Amino acid sequence: MDSLITAIRVVPLEHYLVLSFLLFSIGMAGALLRRNILIVIMCLELMLNSVNLLMVAFSAFHGDAGGQVMVFFIMLVAAAEVTVGLAILVHLKRNTDGVDINTLNRLKW
Amino acid sequence: MSALILISVLGVLVLYVGLFGRKDMLAPVGILGVLGAIALFATGWHIPHELLGGMLEFDGFSTGFSLAMLAITLLVFLFGPDYYARMANNVAEQYALMLFSLCGGILLTAYNNMLMLFLGIEVLSIPLYVLAGGKKYSLRSNEAALKYFLLGAFATAFLLMGIALLYGLTGSFDMGVLAKHIAEAGTGSALLRFGIFFVVAGLAFKLGAVPLHFWVPDVYHGAPTLVTMFMATVVKMAAIAGFFRFVDITGMPDPLARILVLLTLATMLVGNISALRQTNFKRLMAYSSVSHAGFMLLALLSDSGTEAGNGADVGRTLLYYSFTYALATAGLFILFIIAKRANNGDEHHQIFRGLFQTKPWLALCGLAMLLSLAGIPLTAGFVAKYQVFLLAIGAGWLKVMGFGVLMALLGIYYYIMVARELFMASEEPVTFTVSPLNGLVIAACTIGVLLLGIWPQLVGVWA
Repeated sequence: MDSLITAIRVVPLEHYLVLSFLLFSIGMAGALLRRNILIVIMCLELMLNSVNLLMVAFSAFHGDAGGQVMVFFIMLVAAAEVTVGLAILVHLKRNTDGVDINTLNRLKW
Repeated sequence: MSALILISVLGVLVLYVGLFGRKDMLAPVGILGVLGAIALFATGWHIPHELLGGMLEFDGFSTGFSLAMLAITLLVFLFGPDYYARMANNVAEQYALMLFSLCGGILLTAYNNMLMLFLGIEVLSIPLYVLAGGKKYSLRSNEAALKYFLLGAFATAFLLMGIALLYGLTGSFDMGVLAKHIAEAGTGSALLRFGIFFVVAGLAFKLGAVPLHFWVPDVYHGAPTLVTMFMATVVKMAAIAGFFRFVDITGMPDPLARILVLLTLATMLVGNISALRQTNFKRLMAYSSVSHAGFMLLALLSDSGTEAGNGADVGRTLLYYSFTYALATAGLFILFIIAKRANNGDEHHQIFRGLFQTKPWLALCGLAMLLSLAGIPLTAGFVAKYQVFLLAIGAGWLKVMGFGVLMALLGIYYYIMVARELFMASEEPVTFTVSPLNGLVIAACTIGVLLLGIWPQLVGVWA
């Protein structure tokens, strides 16, 4: 475990910050721009995983295990969340025969 | 803690009752359990205590909010058997999911650690995604659920990003450590500013504050009405309690408080202006909830910036405001469901027509609750708004307060529009069927609203 933490610390913290911000932005752009709901859900997962990366990096640099415990909680909750999301999507698919986000236009103003 | 365990076990128990096909027993079991949880909270409310190694901290504020949320859940459950009477399958899941969501709400009122903040928000939200899609074959319900899910997950990612940045700054998820860091090192650090910004964005989404409010009308409109009622009351209270704890513990020193000012102004403005042109009652209530979130944010504002430190007063005011708002909203939604049934599922304001001619007492109850939401004197809504404005003056937010008063006056218009329909005669005869239990629940909401208006200290004894 110690060798792993030293390995993480070889790369400066700024690099982890920049990488996870990049991943977060890519996920955000995808979630906002893509029309296929499955891909939107994938992009949301990417956003959550960029946070996981940041948590682990901070945890190694602070020498505090709390961040890694948090990552487990995030993975668990993300799995539960996406389960619910996919179930809702299956119902939408049955009712409208498609996974295009533009079918969500019945409720406005 | 025992109350929290009781509610989560109760959820599983209700699922088992449903498994054995005893649909008639679901609501009684749920109501008994919620009453038990109320008793457990009420016996221990005066003893502040910490749980899970300081991750949760139950003080007067969190116990008061938990009690209020439990009381509103009780009202929802009392109306439940009637609402689900025509639904044959999966009724147990509806009650169970509401109970699980309530658990998350209680965590939000008492967290002292950002891990619990995250878990509270997620435990509150995930059951709601399912509940919003409760009508499986209604496209409108599907759409509401999916919109809520996608935007909710998006907001969660922001919240987590904020938590990660704050963790990077302090090396701990504990809120006390964060507050100490802010007090000692100031607010210059970019990590802190971005972290707070992201966390506030995540919390503002759950509260439905402008500019993150766009899901509110759609989800409130599309979800089954009982779920909308639950979201507009219990979930709103949990969100504002969570928001308050974050602002109170961090103190939000000056440059950070500006985000709150912008949120407050935008929420009051957009909520009230958009509500003016609504013809669908559910959407009207959605925008009304946005505008009330704005007034609650105004109270929050009085606990931030240079004026930080009057947390106890703000907490009491928020509890009073959100509880009276929730009481009136819950009663109006029940009235709405009754009128909707009498008009074959129509959801426009006109469905209330003829109520005064056939059921005058019901119309008067509806009037009292509408006036309370509008903030007319002698009702609890007036006292609540008055207290919020008083706090804002005390904290020196004079201009924001003036804008709030203007928006409160604007708000009276659309509530009166609905009240007018209550007393208008309808062209064709409409029969409103009200069971004695429903009448009792509506009467309880009305009496609560009037009694709290005359005797506001009633809520103050908790917090």
